[in-house]
Amino acid sequence: MSPQPQAAVGAPLSRVDGRLKVTGNAQYAAEFDVDGAVHAVIVDASIGRGRITGIDTGAAEAQPGVLRVIHHGNAPKLPYRDNAGSNNPPGRRQRVFQDDRVLFHGQPVAVVVATTLEAAQHGASLVKVEYDAVQPSTDLHDAERDKPTKYARGDAEAGLRDAPVRLDVTYELARNHHNPMEPHATIARWDGDKLTVWDKTQWVVGTHDELAAVFDLPAEAVRVINPFVGGGFGSGLRCWPHSVVAALAARETKRPVKLVLSRKQMYFGTGFRPSYEYRLRLGSDGRGRLTAAIHDIDAETSSYETFTEAVMGAGQMTYSMPNVRQAYRTVPLDVNTPIWMRGPGFASASFVIESAMDELAHKLGVDPIELRRRNEPNEDESSNLPFSTRRLRECYTVGAREFGWQRRSARPRSRREGDWLIGLGMAAGVYDPGRYPAQARARLDADGTAVVEAATSDMGPGTYTSQTQVAADALGLTMRTVTFRLGDSLYPQTGPHGGSSTMASVGTAVHDACNQVRRQAIKLAVEDRESPLYGVKADDVVVRGGRLHMKDNPARGETYRTLLARNDRTHLEAGGSYTGPPSPARHSYHAYNATFAEVAVDATLGLVRVRRMLGVYDAGRIISPKLADSQAIGGIVGGIGTALLEHTATDHRDGRIVNANLADYLVPVNADVPDVRAIYLDGEDNDGNALGVKGLGEVVQVGVAAAIGNAVFNATGRRVRELPITAEALL
Amino acid sequence: MHPFTYTRVSDTREALAAGRRGGRYIAGGTTLVDLMRETVERPEALVDISGLPLGEITVTERGGLRIGALVTMSEAAAHRKVRTLFPVVSEALELSASAQLRNMATIGGNIMQRTRCTYFRDVTADCNKREPGSGCAALHGVNRTHAILGTSDACVATHPSDAAVAFAALEAQVRLLGPDGERQVPFADFLLRPGSTPDREQALRKGELITAVEVPALPRPLKSGYLKVRDRQSYEFALTSAAVALHVRGGVIREARVAAGGVGTVPWKLPAVERHLVGERPSDSLWTAAAAKAAEGARPLQHNRFKVELLERTVARQLRIVGGTK
Repeated sequence: MSPQPQAAVGAPLSRVDGRLKVTGNAQYAAEFDVDGAVHAVIVDASIGRGRITGIDTGAAEAQPGVLRVIHHGNAPKLPYRDNAGSNNPPGRRQRVFQDDRVLFHGQPVAVVVATTLEAAQHGASLVKVEYDAVQPSTDLHDAERDKPTKYARGDAEAGLRDAPVRLDVTYELARNHHNPMEPHATIARWDGDKLTVWDKTQWVVGTHDELAAVFDLPAEAVRVINPFVGGGFGSGLRCWPHSVVAALAARETKRPVKLVLSRKQMYFGTGFRPSYEYRLRLGSDGRGRLTAAIHDIDAETSSYETFTEAVMGAGQMTYSMPNVRQAYRTVPLDVNTPIWMRGPGFASASFVIESAMDELAHKLGVDPIELRRRNEPNEDESSNLPFSTRRLRECYTVGAREFGWQRRSARPRSRREGDWLIGLGMAAGVYDPGRYPAQARARLDADGTAVVEAATSDMGPGTYTSQTQVAADALGLTMRTVTFRLGDSLYPQTGPHGGSSTMASVGTAVHDACNQVRRQAIKLAVEDRESPLYGVKADDVVVRGGRLHMKDNPARGETYRTLLARNDRTHLEAGGSYTGPPSPARHSYHAYNATFAEVAVDATLGLVRVRRMLGVYDAGRIISPKLADSQAIGGIVGGIGTALLEHTATDHRDGRIVNANLADYLVPVNADVPDVRAIYLDGEDNDGNALGVKGLGEVVQVGVAAAIGNAVFNATGRRVRELPITAEALL
Repeated sequence: MHPFTYTRVSDTREALAAGRRGGRYIAGGTTLVDLMRETVERPEALVDISGLPLGEITVTERGGLRIGALVTMSEAAAHRKVRTLFPVVSEALELSASAQLRNMATIGGNIMQRTRCTYFRDVTADCNKREPGSGCAALHGVNRTHAILGTSDACVATHPSDAAVAFAALEAQVRLLGPDGERQVPFADFLLRPGSTPDREQALRKGELITAVEVPALPRPLKSGYLKVRDRQSYEFALTSAAVALHVRGGVIREARVAAGGVGTVPWKLPAVERHLVGERPSDSLWTAAAAKAAEGARPLQHNRFKVELLERTVARQLRIVGGTK
């Protein structure tokens, strides 16, 4: 961090945009009042695979208000320039209305544009589509696998063969959907050859680049705006087909078009956390020192794109062991393409690895925390790099103390309260945070206020607030006098708002820009004969509350306003940047947690109720403790959903998602969420970012499901290896 | 949503006239509007009856309850007489839906509520209830939440209401008003099993209006209560549920009223369980033995076999909660 006093960073502040949000004045993508906008509603394929043989749009077009029905039979050919960026996975992306093929149930096959939303919805229900359907393949267990991505060190087969203690377990993880409260939505407007899009996205830059590629437009012809995101959890990390549909419909009808996905369409119009079948074989010596692990990981992807995520990392570096082999196979199915969802890869792998560690601990009669301590590595054994910081041991110690771990009986079914069996469980969590190059711009105006801009996003973690905190301290201003702006592709470019990357990446760029502006001001002052700071060494000057003064003599100084006015400066300005992590890497840089759960399981009815949860986090410096708590609670709630409730159910007969709504796809409600507590280890991690942060938003969901599953085992003696854990598994 | 006309009526005569012309009655609209949005329901004319004077709860001469059809779920649940005379009714209501929905939805609408079967609600799926003759996608589809009792090859959808389970247990009467005057139908006859006509769900004649649900008096003291088993703790339909009312005098069960929800195509009255209880003294073994008869005749499907066991355990648990011991 800079020599500046830290007044805002580290303070438990409320969201700077809180008032806007609770008064309904925060404008989300669909809420922009674009003059003359008409409405578009997508018609979804009602088969799981095949071809469209006919589309009858007569009844729809006859409806009052319906302007146009666009489908593959009348849509113009779109350039769809290759775009390896924008988070597009390898493959051939969905091309809207470009041919008669149906790749999955729910794929857009037509769009109805009308002057009112009601007319567009009714029109969409009247479009009759004929198909030549073939049997889709949507069952992960019953389809051909791609060639594996492999990892190996040592000789895992031999290691396992020679291990005195072995475990061979297969876990099934259900598909999960993000289900943010705000539906995905796009408003598209063409002004001649220029396209402006208001779009729900976690990355205006990515959406900008994809739209430019799809329509073959020069970069400067596209602008993407999105100041507020009503939840994302990863669903906004790509530009989805409906955004292209909106832009296409706007061009065809020569009107601005608003398109909002229905809740149902969110289940196949955007991505999801893929389902997994994960076999893990573990070997250890008699004292629980791991000797070998073999991971066989199968995960769903679409038939047209190969989506992969960081599901192999945790198995390589969480615990020390000489022999590891991994094979990660994607399984192409007739489904739409998955996307990262909170704690991507690591959350899925951790359920398997951390459950298996619990199984091993039970088998060996060793405390689960002690087993993990015995396998704590001294370096990252996948890269042979030292850890930048790794304080997992401390997470265990603090967590065990604060949660009352010593009260846990190692013997399952030993604690009962009436009809309820009570159990305690824990898990370790690891996440590999992203760090992406980023730019930011800061401007200090003559009135002593500042504006800072970057094309990042705020899907809920509080980017507006935390970046304002960083900027305020670096500029020496109060929170109120700094405005942070995001969500516009015209702002300085950043990477995607995901992977716990934003604080380290955008935060560093913001910090850099603001430091430069402050230094410009200090330089101006110390070289200005009229200034009380004239002749002082620049390094001896700090700024606090908009006033520059000597560090050791606060009386000697002046305000930004006075300084700028006297020097006839309307503003000072600077661009800042973050160039990414050190390359080649010098350290293994990861965020960690220990997560604890207490559950009650109804001994006869099989119901699981989470009673208490605690997360202890080694996430580097915490910029904004109040927002951090929101993140931790949110991640734990998400983990409770994965553990006990969330399951996107597909009817494999025709590839239809049968619970594509929030009544049948269950997410936790308030009553399911108990007392949740978060503790952050003090400290910072200075591996390549000036703020000392490691990122928090992803790691908070890693390990949660395993901690709950392990608590269920401790309560009942039943090891459920399928997520979600439902009553029927415990009857 | 398909286009429709909307009329508000201010007296029952007007309502019946509109109903006879084919209008669909709407009050809280919490089910109907939802289904209209999905185009599952496509009424041409809606007749808003929320202004009719059917919003009273009264105690009948003999100590039963008459709950007007337009009483909202939250009003009924909070009503002092409902809470003291038949806790099973208020508990069932309070465990239903969400507070927002309970503030809108009415008792008449609650028992008219349509199934949550996901195939019924998806107009691109086969469903005999929605489109007679198209087939039942749930029979061999994803059917974890579906019925195990009262099913047919044409339909395996559950009736979703909790309150209706309490009413079925208590042998309530549904009061109806039609062009030919008033009539009363026992709850057991009001909701229809699917058989080969799952599209016919109630014994209602064209244009008939529900005016009230009447819960008959039962000998006192009466203990009653409702247990709902579900994956999450609020805002979800039942996997299984049990409504139980017991009149115990001199240490002997004199009257028993038991019904189950989440398992039947209609609220599932359990006469065999009731018979097993009457004349016996409360004990944990009695509860278990009686509950063992709860799933008689069950026809589980591929994903809901667990409901047989869960139903028996749910009934046993609720018998114990209401009847005591342990």
